[in-house]
Amino acid sequence: MILAAAVGTAILLAIVLSINWFPTHASTQINRTSTLYDVLLIASVPIFVIVETVVVFCVWRFRMRPGEELKDGPPIHGNTRLEVVWTVIPALLMFGLAGYAYTVLRANEANKSGAMTVQVTTRQFAFEFTYPHQDGKTVISPILYLPKGKPVVFKIRSYDVVHSFFVPNFAEKIDAVPGITTTLRVTPNRIGTYPAECTELCGPGHSFMRAAVQVMTPSAFQAWLSRQPNNGPPPIGAPPSGVSAASSKGPAKTSKPTAAAGKAVFTSAAGCSTCHTLAAAGATGTIGPNLDQRLRSDCAKPASKRIRGPTLEQCIHAAITRPYAYIPSGFHAGIMPADFAKRLTSAQIAALVKFLSSAAK
Amino acid sequence: MESASVTHAEHHGPPPAHRSSRVEPPVLGMVLFIISEIMIFGAFFTAYFFIRVVTHDPWPAPGTKIPEAATGINTAILLVSSLTIHWALVSIKRGNRFGLKAGMVLTFLLGLTFLFLQVNEYVHLGWAPRDSAQATIFYSLTGLHGAHVFVGLCALLMVTIRSFRGHYSPEHHQGMEVPGIYWHFVDGMWIVVYTALYVL
Amino acid sequence: MATTVAEHTTAVTTPARGRSRVPLPAKLRRGGWYRAALFDVLGLGFAVGITALLRFVNHQHPVIDGHAITTVALFSVPVFFLLGLGAFDYWLYWASGRPTRPETHEDHGAHSWRDYFRVNPDHKVIGIQYTVTSFFFLFVGGMLAMLIRAQLAKPGMNFLTPEEFNGVFSVHASLLIFVFVIPVFAGLANFVLPLMIGAPDMAFPRLNALSYWLLPIGGLMMLASFLAPGGSFATGWTAYAPLSTDMPIGQLFFSIGVQFAGFSSIFTALNFLVTIITMRAPGMSFFRLPLLVWANFATSLLVVIATPFIASSQFFILLDSALHFNFFNAFVGPHTNGNVLMYQHIFWFYSHPAVYIMMLPGFGIISEVIAVNARKPIFGYRMMAFSLIAIVVLGFTVWAHHMFVSGMQPWIRIPMMVTTAIISVPTGIKIFSWLATLWRGVLHMSTQMLFALGFITMFTLGGISGVMLAMVPFDIHVSQTYFIVAHIHYVLFGGSLFTIFAGVYHWFPKMTGRMLDERLGRLHFWSTFIFFNLTFGPMHYIGLLGMPRRVYSYSAQFAGWNLFISICSFFLGLTFLIFLWNIVASWRHGPRAAGNPWRALSLEWQVSSPPPIFNFETIPTVVGGPYEYGVPGAVHGVFKPPAEARRPSAVAVARE
Ligand code: HEA
Ligand code: HEA
Ligand code: HEC
Ligand code: CUA
Ligand SMILES: [Cu+2]
Repeated sequence: MILAAAVGTAILLAIVLSINWFPTHASTQINRTSTLYDVLLIASVPIFVIVETVVVFCVWRFRMRPGEELKDGPPIHGNTRLEVVWTVIPALLMFGLAGYAYTVLRANEANKSGAMTVQVTTRQFAFEFTYPHQDGKTVISPILYLPKGKPVVFKIRSYDVVHSFFVPNFAEKIDAVPGITTTLRVTPNRIGTYPAECTELCGPGHSFMRAAVQVMTPSAFQAWLSRQPNNGPPPIGAPPSGVSAASSKGPAKTSKPTAAAGKAVFTSAAGCSTCHTLAAAGATGTIGPNLDQRLRSDCAKPASKRIRGPTLEQCIHAAITRPYAYIPSGFHAGIMPADFAKRLTSAQIAALVKFLSSAAK
Repeated sequence: MESASVTHAEHHGPPPAHRSSRVEPPVLGMVLFIISEIMIFGAFFTAYFFIRVVTHDPWPAPGTKIPEAATGINTAILLVSSLTIHWALVSIKRGNRFGLKAGMVLTFLLGLTFLFLQVNEYVHLGWAPRDSAQATIFYSLTGLHGAHVFVGLCALLMVTIRSFRGHYSPEHHQGMEVPGIYWHFVDGMWIVVYTALYVL
Repeated sequence: MATTVAEHTTAVTTPARGRSRVPLPAKLRRGGWYRAALFDVLGLGFAVGITALLRFVNHQHPVIDGHAITTVALFSVPVFFLLGLGAFDYWLYWASGRPTRPETHEDHGAHSWRDYFRVNPDHKVIGIQYTVTSFFFLFVGGMLAMLIRAQLAKPGMNFLTPEEFNGVFSVHASLLIFVFVIPVFAGLANFVLPLMIGAPDMAFPRLNALSYWLLPIGGLMMLASFLAPGGSFATGWTAYAPLSTDMPIGQLFFSIGVQFAGFSSIFTALNFLVTIITMRAPGMSFFRLPLLVWANFATSLLVVIATPFIASSQFFILLDSALHFNFFNAFVGPHTNGNVLMYQHIFWFYSHPAVYIMMLPGFGIISEVIAVNARKPIFGYRMMAFSLIAIVVLGFTVWAHHMFVSGMQPWIRIPMMVTTAIISVPTGIKIFSWLATLWRGVLHMSTQMLFALGFITMFTLGGISGVMLAMVPFDIHVSQTYFIVAHIHYVLFGGSLFTIFAGVYHWFPKMTGRMLDERLGRLHFWSTFIFFNLTFGPMHYIGLLGMPRRVYSYSAQFAGWNLFISICSFFLGLTFLIFLWNIVASWRHGPRAAGNPWRALSLEWQVSSPPPIFNFETIPTVVGGPYEYGVPGAVHGVFKPPAEARRPSAVAVARE
């Protein structure tokens, strides 16, 4: 039986260790965590196999044979030495594993010199990334760009409910909690595009609360940074009153409603591009309706005309300010943020309407 | 329950249960229930701890005042009611029916006064639970306690009525002893609430 | 003694049995469904009246407000319903000093199916009421899981809307946790526990009846939330604030439904504790208690201490959303803000112990099943009892392992990691002791034994993934992903539900007097075991790859596995039909069960199946341990008064 257990352990270990359990490693943190996972597997597979072997062996060896219906087993009431053994060994194992996990945690969360700070602001259902004081300016973006190899400290805040910031390829996540700022440390070490996800249930749009993470070479990152305007308006709007915002600069001073201003709002200020596809804005989101393809036809539908108004402009204005009044076929209420009327200035909305009515094909 | 002592020889019933502990079941039940109650208060005190200690905000909220002196009198009233109900219990144990009745009436009236003064305090505080988190937890803890006083008063009312109807005897007074335990708990809890909210 | 005489001389006419030919006004006056219906209307009227009055006094307009009325009605209608049904009758009579009905024991026991639908103080009736009701909620909750899997069958599916989806998995989990797993254990224990300790009933039979009737109220309330405008509560079974304080009306149905389910389990726990402490048969010392009794003792301690926390947390939610209190409002103003993480601390201070509330009674069941079916004494009985207590104590020190990524003070994670990991030690003691009990036994491979062995297998897996979750850096990666969903179902389905099945197969003959069909039972076990693993096993993998839980749609990368999981889950659902069929058919036509079909020693098997109406003609005397299998001539209890019951010398020799 011991042999069976040993063989079983070996086979099962070989199998589980050969599987790629983790997503593509893209940070120094995930390397340590996946090693920890391997250690956990090595510790737990034998335990599982021992338990299984005993169960299977007992069923095979001690099952009742015909004629034994009235037979009883030997009255063994216990064995103190054995009981001490199976108390002490797991306890030692647990302390060992916890100690090792602690060192991994320490290493993953160590303060690195020269770290770059990125503020992550969350709101139903969008992320906004702020790079304070980079090259003498503050840059705000709906997509997270990171230079490879540079330690990053994320400062995470929420404007409404609890969200969470999770990048599977970094193996790191932490909640965004209204009222406090939480901290996450990551050192990206692989170039590529990865998903960032909200993993804390935050309402109907929770599963659509996604953002892209782009890890690039330091030089490409610098190039991107220098292209960005200073202090763009926050992509997801002004925080509610009472949020002692470190990064919010208040709504940007918008000029008269031009289509160009509308495009700027669309691509950054409101995060529309996370959800909508619109060629004129270079937006490729897939959560909401494809505005290139169907905005015009949707607005031409009789029901839409009745609810959102007969003209294209009225329709777009209604779609932004009262999004669930009319729901385009195939979509659901509750996803598109319903508070743009409050978050955006009327000038910004007017600019959006102007831009969209000209851009929609 | 006194009724347990009466046997009904004429009909078939369950065999009497073996008593495997010296503790009376209703007393034990009440003690366990009080443990649950303490945990309810525990949860509210956890909220208090988080709002007052973990968030580092001033206590009470800026611009509000908590009347610790006036409520101190109220506290004394509640404490006296614990003594009077104890007196009622001691009296009935000695067979003194007058002491029982007087003790119960006094306890009831003292409890009622406490509740009245507490509501009066709410009316005159000048701030509402929605004004701040501090106010929220202040009203919640005192309100929770007030609700317990109310429930306790209902029980006391029953006991008072029954003592005037001639119930309870030196041998059988569990019906008032068990609500009494609850009343002592309500009083004891007030000391904690008062200390945490008003004094500290 | 004047009082007692007064209480008992004026006997109210004994309630006539049978239903028809009672005039309606009399029906309305007597406790029962007619009066309950009438009182429901009164309760609704009360809610409308009191809210309108309060709003009028406070100069609030409109005076009639649907939200406020619903809030009050969700409390008042059930309470009025219970009043109408007669759950409080006796106490009200007693408390006001009016003559109570003498103890005729007329209302004891069930003579027809109708007796299951009234306030019945008999623990055996209550046990069956409890068990059947909670299985009803298992089937409903399981069907909701089928909807979850249908929506998740492929990415971008539009089978449900996002709100509906969130509502469906929230109700799924809430039903299964609060009105299936927790109460079904209370139901099984209600039936067998008094029998096991040699008591004629529970300590407080009427409180017991009240506990039961609170249960369907809580469950139906959660279910009824689907009818609420704005849909059912959609914030998960965890109802994190501040999302839950700003939700449509459906959220109330959770916050208030939990209060009813919670009070139900507190009252039952209190009852169990008092029963176990004060009503054991002579000779039944604590270390002669069957382990099921120990397990329920430990569980009841957990319930009495922990459940008030979830009640409070939901009160906070109610106050925040209905009266705009600021427990969880982080944006009140400078220096006056509420604290969001406080909710999670309070919630998990209940809900971690709750997972042991959902597991310890199962441990008890497994101990009974394994000892009887392996024909051996439980190995290390005392350690089995002590480890239960150790789990209870440790269970209160680990709650923040659900909050490793919540943004709480980072240092709290370290002690919580250690205590969480240490919980595997007492649990391991139990697993290893069961294995040692199997060793050299004579294993009867009955269906309940199969489920017990399946439980050991699956729970070890689920427990080990739990220990992995205790390791903070690993948890940071998989928290809130499908790895957690896998852990949940391995411990709750492979753990709790398997023990429940084992318990049902074990005590069905005792409860109904009929035998179940073994062949169907075996088919049920194997199909469940296989499809369970196929459904929930792959979730570990997609979770590690980063698929978040509680999502309505997911990235195309996970499409293949999710389709596979969905298909397997439908088969898993079908396996429940085998069970259902077995139960229904056997209950009606199964072969009659003997008093002790499994040749077990504990007391509940020493009486007829189903047990006589008052359990025992005479209270038995306990003369030995409950698991003395293999000891020649061993007896656990004899039906003689203590003075006559002498321990056979053979037993004494073998045990010492
Ligand atoms: C029946 C219910 C049940 C039980 C018994 C358990 C048991 C355990 N659970 Fe589980 N848990 C849940 C139900 C349960 N859990 C639920 C519902 C959630 C999710 C809640 C939500 O977010 O919705 C959860 C979530 C959860 C988390 C949080 C994950 C997250 O959200 O990030 C963690 C983290 O530590 C955890 C750990 C454990 C541990 C260590 C045990 C231990 O008690 C397990 C001990 C058992 C064993 C270890 C196996 C047998 C032992 C041996 C064979 C001995 C040798 C073994 C070793 C030495 C390893 N659980
Ligand atoms: C005891 C507890 C328990 C049980 C038994 C189950 C049983 C099942 N659960 Fe559940 N589940 C939870 C407790 C439980 N679950 C919890 C606590 C959560 C977390 C929720 C949260 O995030 O808040 C969860 C979440 C959860 C999710 C994740 C949702 C998400 O995060 O998005 C999923 C997804 O697959 C799932 C699936 C299932 C399935 C397929 C079953 C199946 O085993 C069900 C099988 C049963 C039946 C199908 C019913 C009976 C059958 C019939 C009446 C016959 C007819 C059937 C057919 C015709 C098909 N569950
Ligand atoms: C979180 C995702 C999300 C964001 C961010 C978002 N939308 Fe939407 N949008 C949707 C969804 C989903 C719909 C369809 C359902 C509805 O109407 O609410 C929609 C519908 C629309 C429509 C109507 C389309 C039609 O075919 O009728 C317009 C116009 C629109 N959005 C514009 C915007 C603008 C402008 C912004 C930014 C200010 C924006 N959206 C931000 C998800 C989003
Ligand atoms: Cu934000 Cu989920
Ligand atoms: Cu836990």
